[in-house]
Amino acid sequence: MSNTQPAAVASERTHLKARKVSFAWEKTPLHWVPGDPFTTHTINVLHLLLPAGERWFIHVYRQILPYIHDDRLREDVIGFIGQEAVHSQAHDDVLPHLRELGLDPTPYTAQVDWFFEKLLGDRTLPPGRASRWWLMERVAMIAAIEHYTAFLGDWILNAEALDRKGADATMLDLLRWHGAEEVEHRSVAFDVFMHVDGGYRRRVRTWAAAFAALVFLWQRGTRFFMENDPTLLDGKASFKAFHASGKQGTLPSTGSILRSVPSYLSRSYHPSQEGSTAQAVDYLTRSPAALAAEAETAKGA
Amino acid sequence: MALPRLRTVVLVSGAALLTRRALKRRIARSPLWPLPALPEPVSGHSKRRATAVRKLLVTGRTEVAEGVVQLRLEGPALPRWSPGAHLDLVLPSGLVRQYSLCGDPEDTGAYTVAARLVADGRGGSREVHEQLQEGLEVEVRGPRNRFPLTEAPGYVFVVGGIGITPVLPMLRALAASGAEWRLLYGGRSRASMPFLEEIEKLGADGGRVTVVAQDEAGHPDVAGALADLAPGTAVYCCGPEPLMAAATAALPEGCVLHLERFSAATGGTAGSGDGSGGTGAFEVELRRSGRTVPVAAGQSVLAAVRAELPHVAYSCEQGFCGTCQQRVLEGEIDHRDELLTEDERGDSMLICVSRCRGGRLVLDL
Repeated sequence: MSNTQPAAVASERTHLKARKVSFAWEKTPLHWVPGDPFTTHTINVLHLLLPAGERWFIHVYRQILPYIHDDRLREDVIGFIGQEAVHSQAHDDVLPHLRELGLDPTPYTAQVDWFFEKLLGDRTLPPGRASRWWLMERVAMIAAIEHYTAFLGDWILNAEALDRKGADATMLDLLRWHGAEEVEHRSVAFDVFMHVDGGYRRRVRTWAAAFAALVFLWQRGTRFFMENDPTLLDGKASFKAFHASGKQGTLPSTGSILRSVPSYLSRSYHPSQEGSTAQAVDYLTRSPAALAAEAETAKGA
Repeated sequence: MALPRLRTVVLVSGAALLTRRALKRRIARSPLWPLPALPEPVSGHSKRRATAVRKLLVTGRTEVAEGVVQLRLEGPALPRWSPGAHLDLVLPSGLVRQYSLCGDPEDTGAYTVAARLVADGRGGSREVHEQLQEGLEVEVRGPRNRFPLTEAPGYVFVVGGIGITPVLPMLRALAASGAEWRLLYGGRSRASMPFLEEIEKLGADGGRVTVVAQDEAGHPDVAGALADLAPGTAVYCCGPEPLMAAATAALPEGCVLHLERFSAATGGTAGSGDGSGGTGAFEVELRRSGRTVPVAAGQSVLAAVRAELPHVAYSCEQGFCGTCQQRVLEGEIDHRDELLTEDERGDSMLICVSRCRGGRLVLDL
């Protein structure tokens, strides 16, 4: 136990601001990774989970603001909330397009809505210790989930296999703009958790809950898309297919996912130790959506 | 020993098969079984559609009056709209301007907008006139309707110049349904007033249409047009600020006035609060906190509220992320965001950009 303190890398911190992005979906095909419905739909699960999930982040973070007594962290949280709000809207706006392509996501998303709004929502708890406990539990869950969004963000920024396969440019831009902002703000949720609570047992417990929930939701989501895809006769989702896509580089590899577990549970972990803010910021200076947002907020309004 | 073991294997695998089948059936019906669903799904059903744009192709460009160009924008499977709706055009420079739709609401293959060139405007109308040529792709958001046609026993329209664009589809709809309507249409000269011919045809029966060209007959008589209206008559006004002020002043009791802010600076019709509501001072009551804060001219409601409640949530401060949305209990809101839907605008606002039309707002804070 030579190093038990989370060590933040100061140079990885950057000023956070929401970007007013927009995307035109009408030309994006159903299988936007050409000829690879399994990869397409595994990534598409993001559009099912993020609208409700990121709305829930914001809902929880509005309640945590009064607990933050550090001006720099408060500034980070304000930027984080705005970025998450636009992420949620952007993924939400993909769903009507899927519906137009004959794949109505509502049966699944209505259940995800219940999951985040009811199961993980504000419960009627006595004020004081019980409600504080539930708030802290959710803040810790968000930190654990953000470990994985940062992991995915870093992965998508480097997923050249998707470019080689000719993946749809608009969808790649949505995923990489989002991924880049996740990398930009990857330390915020963890810093908030450490600031308001930081208990190691809570960190382990909520990581286990978040990881189990993500595996459950993702497996069912890919299966839902594969079975309801109107162009597939006998669409199936399997771990074997996942592992194979991971090897090709069109999805994260099984090994990298397994390696991300001990890193989050290490006592000296800090999100700034993984991923590269410079790479994220660099993508945001090239992203068509981020550039258009820049032009609009600078000249319009 | 062998027999009972075989029986166990058969029993266990049989049970496993049955469970698998039962699970499969349930998951086919309910993808996240055993979780229930939210009765009214939220995700994918938002009317905000704030980040969705369409790329439409300019396939027609005609000068329909002096200084007024009409554009036909084509795209596949466009959403239907209702009279009074507008479209956000994201111009090549990144400028965003609102233009009322003036074509056929049932046409899902194309949208039609018209824009007047404003010589000293902020560049939006010039860009539309000079750059949006046939063959160019342009991004649009919407359509949205902030000027909808409501149910009423009769309608009076008071229109100035390019303000005719949102009204034209209304007139067509009312003429087709045989409703009671009248129009007072003013402009600089007959040559500068778009759609005159069609409008005079629509109103051919019974002198419904009064056209007043300034170079022939001066300013239109707004007070005269609004005198002796039957109670309940809906009055729609779209045009320059003095025209709307005249309509507001002359509105008889019992009639409802619907205003569409016309922003001369953009050459379009559907202005979204670019200064037209003023930036004056007012006060905001925070009902739950039992406090009242003054909002100075040029100061945002958010800034004023933060002085009292430092933990109030906000983020982008430009009216697009939605974090600072607050419920409004009383007062007339001057909405200046581009995010909220009509329903949300009824009783809430984004306090980072939106203001107050009267002297006082009451927030649920």
